[in-house]
Amino acid sequence: MTTIEATALTKVYREATTDVVAVRDASLATAAGEIVAVMGPSGSGKTTLLSMLGCILRPTTGTVTIDGQRVWDSDERDLPRLRRRYVGFIFQSFNLFPALTAAENVEVVLNLKGLDGRAARREAGRLLERVGLAPRLDFRPRDLSGGEKQRVSIARALAGDPPLILADEPTANLDASNGEQVMRLLREAAAQGRSVVIVTHDHRVAPWVDRTVLLEDGRLVA
Amino acid sequence: MSVDIARKNLFHDRTRFLITVVGVTFSVVLIFAQVGIYLGFIENASIIIDNTDAEIWITSKSSANFDFPLAFDERRLAKVKEVPGVADADYLILTWLSMRLADGGSEAVELIGFNPHTGVGGPWQLVEGSVQALKAGHGLIVDESAFPKLGALRVGDLVEVDETRLRVVGISRGVRGFTTAPYVFTSLRTAREVDPRFRDRTVFIVARVVPGHDPSQVAERLRALPYLDVHTRDEYSLKTRLYWTLQTGLGVGFALTALMAVVVGTVVVAQTIYTATIEHLREFGTLKAIGATNRMVYGIIVEQAVINAVVGYAAGLLITLLAVHSSSLTGVVMVVRPPVMLAVFIVAVAMCLGAAVISVRKALQVDPVMVFRA
Ligand SMILES: Nc1ncnc2c1ncn2[C@@H]1O[C@H](COP(=O)(O)OP(=O)(O)OP(=O)(O)O)[C@@H](O)[C@H]1O
Ligand SMILES: [Mg+2]
Repeated sequence: MTTIEATALTKVYREATTDVVAVRDASLATAAGEIVAVMGPSGSGKTTLLSMLGCILRPTTGTVTIDGQRVWDSDERDLPRLRRRYVGFIFQSFNLFPALTAAENVEVVLNLKGLDGRAARREAGRLLERVGLAPRLDFRPRDLSGGEKQRVSIARALAGDPPLILADEPTANLDASNGEQVMRLLREAAAQGRSVVIVTHDHRVAPWVDRTVLLEDGRLVA
Repeated sequence: MSVDIARKNLFHDRTRFLITVVGVTFSVVLIFAQVGIYLGFIENASIIIDNTDAEIWITSKSSANFDFPLAFDERRLAKVKEVPGVADADYLILTWLSMRLADGGSEAVELIGFNPHTGVGGPWQLVEGSVQALKAGHGLIVDESAFPKLGALRVGDLVEVDETRLRVVGISRGVRGFTTAPYVFTSLRTAREVDPRFRDRTVFIVARVVPGHDPSQVAERLRALPYLDVHTRDEYSLKTRLYWTLQTGLGVGFALTALMAVVVGTVVVAQTIYTATIEHLREFGTLKAIGATNRMVYGIIVEQAVINAVVGYAAGLLITLLAVHSSSLTGVVMVVRPPVMLAVFIVAVAMCLGAAVISVRKALQVDPVMVFRA
C-alpha cells in the first residue's frame, strides 16, 4: 500500500519586502482507501500544502515521503517521473486541453505514462465510461457541461492508476448534484485503494470524507 | 501512435496557423526568387567556361574574369602543349567590338574567335547553320537570345562588325551572357582580321588533359610557366562568378534581400508562435503537473515550428515552381534545382526553430504550481 506522509512542512514565499509563511509546520499522513478533506479560510495555505504533497512545490523545510522515498531529496529532474507514477490531479477549473476530445484528454495522460496506441484509446474509453461519459468520448471540453468536464478530469486523474489523488476545490464550480456525483466518484476511487486528498471550502463534501483537517493561517489545527 | 497534442493545438487555431504559414511561404518564395534569379544571372557569367570542352583555362596574369581578360603572346601555346598531361590546347580570343544594326544603330558585342576545327570555345548547340561554315572565313554565329538586341538574324544575312562585313552562318541556342553585350562567334582567323590587335596574341589558351589525368595536377604543372595564370575549369568558373558577385554589388543586393526575407519571416513566425504559447501556458503547466518533462514541453513547440516550416515551405516551393514555369515564358531565368530546394528548406526550418526559441524558454519557465490558480 502506498502511503504519503508529510512531516513538518513549512513553506515561506519570499516577497520583495516581506516573507509570507503560507504553511507552517504541517504534518499529515494518508492511508490507502481514505479521503482526507483539508478545509480552511481563503489564504490559509490549502493550495500551497496540496502543491507540496503533489511534488510540484518545494517545501522550505520539512519532508514529503511517498512509498518510503523522500521526494525532495532526489534529483529535481526526477519529479516528473514521481508525479506520473504516484499522483493524479483534479483542478477547480478543470484544466482540460481545449483542442483535444474528452477521450484524447485522457489518452494524452496515458501516453505520458507509457501506454500508447489502441491500448491507450481503449483504456481512455473505459475510464470515461466509469465516470458515465461513454456517450461523450468525442466531445471537446467546449461542448461539455461543467459537471461533465470535471468528470473528464477525474477520469484523467485516474489514468495510469496513481495511488494518490489530489483535488483542489473539485466541487467549487459545480452545482449540488454535480458536486455530489464528483464526490461519489472520488469515494469510488478511494474504495479501490487510493488515498484522496481534497482541498475545499465546500461543507457539502463533509458526508463523503473520512477525515477533515483544518488549516488556519498555515497551521493544521485539527 | 499517441495523441499529437502539438498538431492538434496547432490546427485548433486555424487562423493563426494560416497566418504563420503565409509568413513562412512569403519568405520562402522571396528567398527562392532571390537565389534563383541570382543563380540565373551568375550561371550565365560562366556559361562559356562551363560549356567548353577544356579542363584548363590559361589567361594572362591577373585578368579579372572571363569578360575582361588581357591578351598575351600567342607563342606560349607551344610551351603549354609540351607539359605532360596536356592532350591538346587551342587559342581563344574574346574582344569587345560594335556591330552595326540593320536599323542603322549599333550594339556592343563580345566577339569570340575560336578554332572551328576543334570547336573548343565555340557554341555548343546550333538551331541553324553549322560551325564548319566558319572555316570558310568571314562567318559569324549569333545566339538567338541576342535577337532582341541585334534583330532576328537569319543564316545568310550580312552584318558589319567593326567595319568588317561578316555573313551569318549559324544561329546558336543557350549562349546568354551576363553582360549586356551579346556573345557572337567567329573563327580565330576572322577574329584576328576584324581586330588586328590580336594578330599575334591570344586571350585564352584552353587546354584539354589526357584522359585519366587529374586536371588540377596538370594545372599545377602548368603554373611553372611564367607570366600566366592557370585555372581548372571549375576554378575559373568560380572566379568569374565571384567577380561579378562581389565587384558589382549584385551579390550584396540579392543576399540582403534574401536576408530581409528571413528576418521578416522569422519575426512573423516568432510573433504567432509566441502568442500561441502564451495562450497555452496553462496547458503547458497542466502537462508539467501531470508529469511531462521539459523535453516533452519543448518537443511540442519544436514540432509545431517544424510543421509550420514544412507546410510553409511546401506552399512556397509550389508557388516558386509555378513562377519559374511562367517566367521561363517571359525570359527571366530563375534557377531552382534540388540543392537550392534543400538549402531553402533548411533555412525555412532553421527560421521557424529560431522563431520558437523565445516561446520554448517561456514554456520551460512555466511553474506547474500555476495550474492551481483560477
Ligand atoms: N507564489 C506565491 N508568492 C507569494 N505568496 C503566495 C504565493 N502563493 C500563495 N501565496 C500566499 O500564501 C498564502 C496561502 O495561499 P494559498 O493559495 O495556499 O491559500 P488557499 O488556502 O489555497 O486560499 P484559497 O482558498 O483562496 O484558494 C496566501 O497568503 C497567499 O497570498
Ligand atoms: Mg487555493
